[in-house]
Amino acid sequence: MAGKTVPFRLITPIAVAFEGEAELVIAVGTEGEEGILASHAPFLTALRPGILRANVGGDGGATKRLEFATSEGFLQALPDRVTVLVDAAMQRDQIDTAAARTDLEAASERQKQLSPQTAEYAREQSTIDFAQARLQLVG
Amino acid sequence: MPSVRDLRDRIKSLKNTQQITKAMKQVAAAKIRRAELVQRQARPYADALGEMLQDLMAAVGSIDHPFMRPGREGAPLGIILMTADKGLAGAFNSNVVRAGETFVRERGSEVVYYPVGNKARNAAKRTRFETLEAWSLSAHAKLDTARGVAARVTDDFTAGKISQIVLVAPKFVSMMTQRPETRVLVPIEGAKRDERTGPRAAVEFAPSPEAVLTRLLPKYLEFTLYSAMLETDAAFFAAQLVAMTNATDNAGKLLDDLTLAMNKARQAAITKEMLEIVGGAEAQAG
Repeated sequence: MAGKTVPFRLITPIAVAFEGEAELVIAVGTEGEEGILASHAPFLTALRPGILRANVGGDGGATKRLEFATSEGFLQALPDRVTVLVDAAMQRDQIDTAAARTDLEAASERQKQLSPQTAEYAREQSTIDFAQARLQLVG
Repeated sequence: MPSVRDLRDRIKSLKNTQQITKAMKQVAAAKIRRAELVQRQARPYADALGEMLQDLMAAVGSIDHPFMRPGREGAPLGIILMTADKGLAGAFNSNVVRAGETFVRERGSEVVYYPVGNKARNAAKRTRFETLEAWSLSAHAKLDTARGVAARVTDDFTAGKISQIVLVAPKFVSMMTQRPETRVLVPIEGAKRDERTGPRAAVEFAPSPEAVLTRLLPKYLEFTLYSAMLETDAAFFAAQLVAMTNATDNAGKLLDDLTLAMNKARQAAITKEMLEIVGGAEAQAG
């Protein structure tokens, strides 16, 4: 049975990756996983790279589970809509496993040369996390 | 008076040139459409980001982010000079470079250039100022380039190597007009608060508005650079379209003139020959 839904948009600078009605959106926030249902109180948080899940309305009222590997970004929940902004969002079939592995190795290699607590270190960490999220989603 | 053959050769070569300018004009027209499409696709992100920023600005009391503090006194200005990679677009690139130079002269300060676009890189090299790193506008994915530029200027700003981050880039006013625009991106001039609208509702932030804003500001800089790159692209093709349309028209006018001159020269030659034949015939008859 389909519950109450809310308009949900997943936006990257290059395209709107998803737009539709969602029953539930689960994203990895900097403070842990955030699950958003319809009529959520106004809420804004930053997201870490990870896997974003959403139960969206499919054909004939059935819901469909969507999964995206996302890079860092932001989630804004309002009673009447949910917006997620990320640099990149990929579904399982859009992920290039070899490219993800290369990114992971290159970033880990670069990170070794840096000292923690620097901005560069954090940036490489974000690249590593996004690559790992992609690999995890492909399984 | 050039001979008929000289004129015919010139017409031939001019026709070739006209073919090239016509082809470039058509390519530019197609590329504008593509550039405008990419720009349109970035708009939902821009709108959502702007909305989030506004909510945050309304919520935070004071924020201690490097972008909100004035840069180190006496440090050189950091200028991101953005042009296209190629020319053949009238004064498009040189207008941007000149706008940057004017800004520098007005401020009378030392400068570090961060050129984006090959033409900007070449221009920056000719100045006496330092260029720490240069990027090409179209060689790599624009989003990656924007991220690279943002990271570099942010690091240099926080390290006190530069006192401000200034962007000089072309603005797409219309298909006929592209104008360079100079904007100070960082430090962000006094948190712009829209008093009329105020916060939409009591928004909850996790963990805190300050923490979210600290993450959002660098993203905002990245995206500003990305959209400036898209605009530079669109403006460049518009400028090239105009330049190539003019070049094709001018070649057409010149072709008309040359064709007229060639016809005159040919007619003169024919007339001269006729006179010689008639003269010879009369001499024999006499």
